Amino acid sequence: MDSISTAPAILQPLLDMLRLPLEEIKIEKVVDLVSYDGAIAAQCLRLANSPLYGRREIETVRSAVMVLGLDRVRTLLLGLCMNRVIPADKWVIEPNAFWRHSLGCALVTQRMARKIEYHEPEKAYLAGLLHDIGLLVNSVLYTEGFRECLRIAAEQQAPLHVIEEQVLGFTHCDSGRMLAEHWRLSKELVDVTYCHYDLSLLAAPGPLACLVHLSDLLCRARYLGYGYDEIMSVDLGGDAAWQILVASYPALGNMDLVRFTLDIDGAMDQIVATVDSVFGSKNVAVSAAT
Amino acid sequence: MPIEIAKPKPAPALEQNSSDPAFLKIRDLVYRISGIYHAEEKLYLLTSRCARRMVALELTSPAEYLEHLTVRGNRDAELRLLLNEITIGETYMFRHPAQLDALRKVILPEILQAKGVHGLKRLRFWCAGCSTGEEPHTLAMFLLEEKEKLLAGWTFDILATDLNDNSLEAARAGIYGEYALRSTNDRLRAKYFKDAGDKKLQANDLLKSQIRFDRINLRDDNKMLFQKGMDVIFCCNVLIYFDLASKRRVIQHFYSNLMPGGYLFLGHAESLFQVDDTFRLVHFTGTTAYWKAPATLPAGGKK
Repeated sequence: MDSISTAPAILQPLLDMLRLPLEEIKIEKVVDLVSYDGAIAAQCLRLANSPLYGRREIETVRSAVMVLGLDRVRTLLLGLCMNRVIPADKWVIEPNAFWRHSLGCALVTQRMARKIEYHEPEKAYLAGLLHDIGLLVNSVLYTEGFRECLRIAAEQQAPLHVIEEQVLGFTHCDSGRMLAEHWRLSKELVDVTYCHYDLSLLAAPGPLACLVHLSDLLCRARYLGYGYDEIMSVDLGGDAAWQILVASYPALGNMDLVRFTLDIDGAMDQIVATVDSVFGSKNVAVSAAT
Repeated sequence: MPIEIAKPKPAPALEQNSSDPAFLKIRDLVYRISGIYHAEEKLYLLTSRCARRMVALELTSPAEYLEHLTVRGNRDAELRLLLNEITIGETYMFRHPAQLDALRKVILPEILQAKGVHGLKRLRFWCAGCSTGEEPHTLAMFLLEEKEKLLAGWTFDILATDLNDNSLEAARAGIYGEYALRSTNDRLRAKYFKDAGDKKLQANDLLKSQIRFDRINLRDDNKMLFQKGMDVIFCCNVLIYFDLASKRRVIQHFYSNLMPGGYLFLGHAESLFQVDDTFRLVHFTGTTAYWKAPATLPAGGKK
């Protein structure tokens, strides 16, 4: 764990910022964060000057942040932070696929949180964004074994955690929990990383864990998985997480799931575009050979 | 003789602005009446379909068109015409590969396992509202392709029904042009079709013999009661034209037409929300279907 435990200095302030609703984020604070790290500042400027954003002459970090928008900038920051944590040659899962899934899950969790009137939708966003950090731990610490897991999972179109359990004897939920604890994330976020696949690991799963559990399933069923299509057959309404949530948040019972799914599909193009613009468009298919 | 007043030319489809609040109201109306939902990002599709109707009616503003859909005497007819526009182009073969994937990877293995226990090695499919036959022909090709693999030792039959005699006639003839065949590869074309001239292909006898066509009105309770023992029902973009009470009735029929463990597929943007709560909505990769859970299944859902 030590080799990945040295989180970049800006990680903690960044996580604090990600907890805030977009409208409460002070742009100066973001500019400070971006400027703190030369490489990150350069990346922001490069992106803001790319043809995607209209080829304007952007010379200051402040205008780059304005052009890119807070949402994209905080994604970029987190992404670059993680790239710092994970050396390029250690990414076993395709970074583009990882970020599509993480951002997709963040967005879906947040939207679902709003639908059920959960009081902290931004926290839900963060929970969705970070739920799979265990994949990064496995990439760095168990590179070869994890590569094998991904290869088998893609070949069998099976859920990744099931294969991890078989091959490694533990899952990215276990390693995610360790990293989350190491980074001193809140108890709720630690729980999310640990039990988003299997809620029964907790005696009383909280609403965040339930929300992320459902969002993760939905994302994987709508082509925002780990870079391969899983064989899925999910009765969300019959899921334990749904039952737990609906007891405290009756609005969930009034949610048209088909409609919600179509909304996700609509937003997916946006997610893909954001990820491509921040992390570069790459073929997200898992290559079984590598 | 009344004086003809020159009307301003309607704006071309692309110039309609999706953010016009009238379009949001039309979106909500279409969703409420038909169950077809347009997500925010797909609103432009609805806008362009409305624009076509607006051109036909020589209307310039979405607000005027909303009026035609809500307060004018012919509003029901107009809504029907709009729904026609919305579902146009939905019908070509292999339009929904995700549905076929779900059948191949989850649904059929599940049903084969459950039915195999009883030694009844026969599957029944029903395309309710098959229109000009693209869907049953797709299903027939798919099942024939699985005959030596997944379905080895099994037989199947496909019932394809529609209310419209012209559609049924076309479906029986099985003659299709390039649009209907756009996603059908050369191998399948060569195997299941023959040349019908005029750049068209016709389903060959092998393919045709898999499908039984019949005229069924889904509102006809007596006829509906007789369709028993179905494993999978497809009913895409048909119920959108029904009022809530008839929709509920048809869905109840479908529920009893299906074997326990059977599935109902609707159009990809169609929702049964607040129409039915006996079926369970199941998400497969890239598609959804409604499931008739076996009676023995405890509450808590499928695994």
